[in-house]
Amino acid sequence: MEIKLIKRLPVYLVVLIFSVAALLPFYMMIIMGTYYSEELYSGVKLLPGGYFLTNLHTVLKQNFFVFYKNSIIVSVCNTLGGVFISALTGYAFAKYQFKGKKPLFAFIVATLAIPQQLGLIGFVVEMRALGWINTLLPLIFSGMASAFGVFWMTQYISSSVPNEIIESGRIDGCNDFVIFFRLVLPIIRSALITIFLLLFLWSWNSYMTPLVTISNEKYYTIPLSIALISSEYRTDYAARILSLALSTIPIIGMFCIGSKHLIQGLISGSVKG
Amino acid sequence: MDPLIIIRLSEVIDMKKKYIPYTMIAPYFILYIAFGLFPIIFSLAISFTQWDGIGTATFIGLKNYIRTFTQDKFFYQSLGNTTLLLLVNTPIQISVGLLMATLLKDFFKKTRGAFQLINFLPYITTPVAIGIIFQLMFDWKSGVVNGLLNLLGIDSVYWLGNAWASRGVVVIMEIWKGFGYMMIMFLSGLSTIPDELYESSRIDGAKWRHSFAHITIPLLRPIFTFVIVTSVINGFKLFDEPQLLFSSTSQPIGGPDRAVMTVVMRFYETAFNGFEFGYGSALAYCLFIIIAIVSFFLFKFINRESDMA
Repeated sequence: MEIKLIKRLPVYLVVLIFSVAALLPFYMMIIMGTYYSEELYSGVKLLPGGYFLTNLHTVLKQNFFVFYKNSIIVSVCNTLGGVFISALTGYAFAKYQFKGKKPLFAFIVATLAIPQQLGLIGFVVEMRALGWINTLLPLIFSGMASAFGVFWMTQYISSSVPNEIIESGRIDGCNDFVIFFRLVLPIIRSALITIFLLLFLWSWNSYMTPLVTISNEKYYTIPLSIALISSEYRTDYAARILSLALSTIPIIGMFCIGSKHLIQGLISGSVKG
Repeated sequence: MDPLIIIRLSEVIDMKKKYIPYTMIAPYFILYIAFGLFPIIFSLAISFTQWDGIGTATFIGLKNYIRTFTQDKFFYQSLGNTTLLLLVNTPIQISVGLLMATLLKDFFKKTRGAFQLINFLPYITTPVAIGIIFQLMFDWKSGVVNGLLNLLGIDSVYWLGNAWASRGVVVIMEIWKGFGYMMIMFLSGLSTIPDELYESSRIDGAKWRHSFAHITIPLLRPIFTFVIVTSVINGFKLFDEPQLLFSSTSQPIGGPDRAVMTVVMRFYETAFNGFEFGYGSALAYCLFIIIAIVSFFLFKFINRESDMA
């Protein structure tokens, strides 16, 4: 047993080193947020300091809650809309025969490869024309029609929703939308969670779209506030770091809970894509 | 009832039925056309003009594209930087990810879930925050990296003030962010390889590294294809993290000597700092064309390799 342990020591070390490296930046961020700014220049800190509450007070005095609120409104609306549209469209592609189905689906798959930047300038001009600059609307609607979501839902529904269930609904006289809401959605619940997590992650982390459509601080999202506000408050270094830590916590917490679904989603995207 | 009427009625119901799938896919296509396709086509039109986004646009044909490929030295520099980062990052990310995946699968049966999650956390963290965390960690005066180097008796390095050191920081940052994703992908691939294959090779007296080279690597080929193609495509789109890495230093866009200016950073600078909407759109299309060509050849190359094997 001991020999086995010694032989395996390098293996444990490698895994440990990379895991520590993965966590170190998070740890540093949290530790640095608990010091008085001036102290941070006087050498490396590895243990927590005593200025956490003071820094927290500084952070909350800024518009931090407003940015949080904006980010949550944008991400929740964008994601719920995206999940619903992906599921409905995926259901149609998976379970109906209709003219033009193949080319339309091929078109959606082809758009997967298009980088978001390609239409960005046109998008900004369009938003100006609509009067949507400095509102949350561009962020809510961009990416709501997710090619990845439709592609993924189509694959999932065709393999995991039995035709018999849809038929039995028809025999009971339900119309097609009732069948979708009452019978299909409950079956694909786990897929809905996966797509929800992925779309939420992309929406929450999105930086480029808010950067080019929002200049009024009232409508900043979390990534935009981290990027633009923090450099203005450079003087209070420690408070800036604490706000960074606070803004990453919700998404990390959410994904610790839902990581199984998220990882499953990423993996099946690769196996089938 | 007259049988003719019954036929008519069922035709009407059929007609109604035929509309159903179209009403289901309509919201997607309406939204995609309005906020996806229209801006893309609009950008193409803008790319043939000279326009500051406010005044009148002047049609100048292909001049923007000619300028991109013949006059814009920053475009070539950014393309070179992006390619360099890509060529260094991708193999290291893949190797570390594969190493971690095999070690976790073979030696950490019980604690695998926890390690999987820890190493995956960087991938889901807001890229903007990653840029700033690394900026703080590699700070010349107060950063933890120079602090540790000093403890070991090594002089501080001016990480973000030197071209090659900045490239190094971006490479470390991208590897840190991406290896957990690679690990997850390889773990999923490993789970599809039957245990019997390993057992029979063990009976034949093969060492762990032999079965790794002769069973694991060949059977993971589809995963390799997927992660290589996606890292190349995503590598060309690199923007958030390196942009934020230099956000509070007095560096030009892209760091010292523009050493880590990526193609998308060049695009952003042109379109939204310089307000050259026409030229910016052309740059975006050039980036798209490059991604398309590279992925086409990559697919061809990988397919040829697999035919030969």
